[in-house]
Amino acid sequence: MSNQNTFFALADFLIPAHGKMPKFSDVCGYADVEKSLDFRVDLKPGFARGIAVDPANGAEARLESLNKEDSEAFSAITTIAIATYYMSPRVRELIGYPGQENVPYDSKATQFYLTDGSLGHVIARGRKYRPTPGL
Amino acid sequence: MTVEDLADRSARARRDEEVDVVIVGAGPSGSVAALHLARAGVSVVVLEQGEWPDYADYTGARPEHELVSTKLWHPNPNVRDNPNDYPVDTSTTDINPLMFAGVGGSATLYGAQWMHFLPSDFRVRSMDGVAEDWPFTYEDLLPYQLEIEREVGVSGLAGDPAYPPRGAYPFPALPMGSVGQRGALGMERMGWHWWPGSNAIPSEKFGELNPCVRRGTCLTGCPEGAKSTTDRSHWPLALKAGARLVTRARVKEIETNEQGLATGVVYVDANGRDRRQRAKVVILCANGVGTPRLLLMSGGAGNPDGLANSSGMVGKRLMMHPFASVLASYRDPLDSWRGPFGQQVYSLEFYETDESRGFVRGSKWNCMPSGGPVGVSGATGSKVYVAESGRFQDFWGANLHENVARRFGHSLIWGIVGEDLPEESNRVVLSKDLVDSDGLPAPQIVYKVNENSNRLLKFNIDRCLESVRAAGAIETLVSTPVRESGWHLIGTTVMGDDPKRSVVDQWGACHDVPNLYVMDASTFPTSGATNPTATIMAVALRNTRRMIAERRNQKVA
Repeated sequence: MSNQNTFFALADFLIPAHGKMPKFSDVCGYADVEKSLDFRVDLKPGFARGIAVDPANGAEARLESLNKEDSEAFSAITTIAIATYYMSPRVRELIGYPGQENVPYDSKATQFYLTDGSLGHVIARGRKYRPTPGL
Repeated sequence: MTVEDLADRSARARRDEEVDVVIVGAGPSGSVAALHLARAGVSVVVLEQGEWPDYADYTGARPEHELVSTKLWHPNPNVRDNPNDYPVDTSTTDINPLMFAGVGGSATLYGAQWMHFLPSDFRVRSMDGVAEDWPFTYEDLLPYQLEIEREVGVSGLAGDPAYPPRGAYPFPALPMGSVGQRGALGMERMGWHWWPGSNAIPSEKFGELNPCVRRGTCLTGCPEGAKSTTDRSHWPLALKAGARLVTRARVKEIETNEQGLATGVVYVDANGRDRRQRAKVVILCANGVGTPRLLLMSGGAGNPDGLANSSGMVGKRLMMHPFASVLASYRDPLDSWRGPFGQQVYSLEFYETDESRGFVRGSKWNCMPSGGPVGVSGATGSKVYVAESGRFQDFWGANLHENVARRFGHSLIWGIVGEDLPEESNRVVLSKDLVDSDGLPAPQIVYKVNENSNRLLKFNIDRCLESVRAAGAIETLVSTPVRESGWHLIGTTVMGDDPKRSVVDQWGACHDVPNLYVMDASTFPTSGATNPTATIMAVALRNTRRMIAERRNQKVA
């Protein structure tokens, strides 16, 4: 199995199809993975070790082994898998995530808590602080 | 003229030039001191080991944000691994100290929650019989607090009954999102205190600061230039007033003469060369870890315990505010990736001492959005919600999809900050093994969360769970104490009247070296339970005003 296919096997175990959500390899190509690694070059050594061994006994066994014996490689594989997946425009559309968006607002608009009485309840409950002794 | 032009024009002093004041650190306190001293006609050089921020490096508006920020903008310098920072030996601490080196200081990565200490914070011995009273009161500091708020551009709503009456905030409170509304609902159903969040984020254009657009990435640098940090709020004005700022300048020693007075500092410049900056007065603003580190590194061969340390208190009484967080998920959509991140709502319901609870002092809560899908999955990244004993399969496979579906866009986080009582056993020392990129000894943190803090956090977590469930939470996840939570570095060069029990006086002047000052949170006798930046900047302003007023009486070498 090529290193690329090894990663897809691991990533598809970590992120399988479930309900409306696609599995990893349905929405992410290896170019996406390489792009993520370029953002996190610190993860490249661990990532390389993680995909260097053919998961002959299956993806779960390989991940279990990495988790116990090479936590840096496990962290690199899982971090790249989950970050790449949730950067996918298709996945973001499915979960309703526009990214960290810009939300304009009117700074002078009257806030709801000033008109619905909720903040009035806080004020009505009275002073909370203890004043400075002797003043 | 732009800030960049001014920054370029700023340069180190001429060789052998003696300036009136050299300041170590261009974070919140150093920036305040520099601005006000320069405006008073004092010649000032500031030495900052980091660099000017490049706002294009802040990834908040880009798809790779969650991937990149967990490394590049991680608040732990040991994770960030940037040579401008120094590493910290954390082998002997329960909590990792968090900080950032650069113009603007650690506030570059703060949540911008803007809170004053309360009156009782200044009188803990008198009122609760623990620790020490401060040499001044809430009322003494309030005028400086309000002046700093105007410089910083704080947004908020006055009238909170948890505080004495005060004037209006400079800007209206930021809009409370669905997260804040749900957090407030729980508190309201319990009959507990809550108040719309006050934040060092102007809701309208203010000087070099842009209005907040609720990007929600405050903790990893604000790409909008909306979160108030002193590179934008203070430095443009300080440079115009004549202050000089040298970046990538790591101070390694404070020098003194035969009379024990400070004569300046030695620093390592960007090219690795040692340089000397002579000054009549030295001010340390290097945070509660960096300041004692520098004092312990100074003093020469005749002072093995460091400089200004006849009391033996330098480095001791470190307080870092033990922290807990409660994530709560709801069926209703809360758009919980939207900012402001710092605090949409805060609560001081359990701030004051109630001995029936089994501990002294109290806590402050702040309600925050839970962020993007990677963070709320609990599967990687900060691992805040991953138990060490957990199986990895619990967070992956179908569980990943179900966790994200339940939490993403549907959850909030209450952060619980507990007052940390001072203990001399919690301290900063110099590491015997670890060094920074210039070969200088790294600080080592020796710190244990004490029993009072453990009881305080447990009580508050239990109350918080009651609140979020009252508002309909369908899932709750608790993390405590959070190891990556040492945002607030306090107490390591304590102020006081007795030179045998304190390092500096109430104006920040060292008892042992009267022309050496400390103006960061190192001087605080106690920690309060609120975010300290407002108090740090106000105390720095109070000290600076005093220094200017008394400059003719200042003893110098």
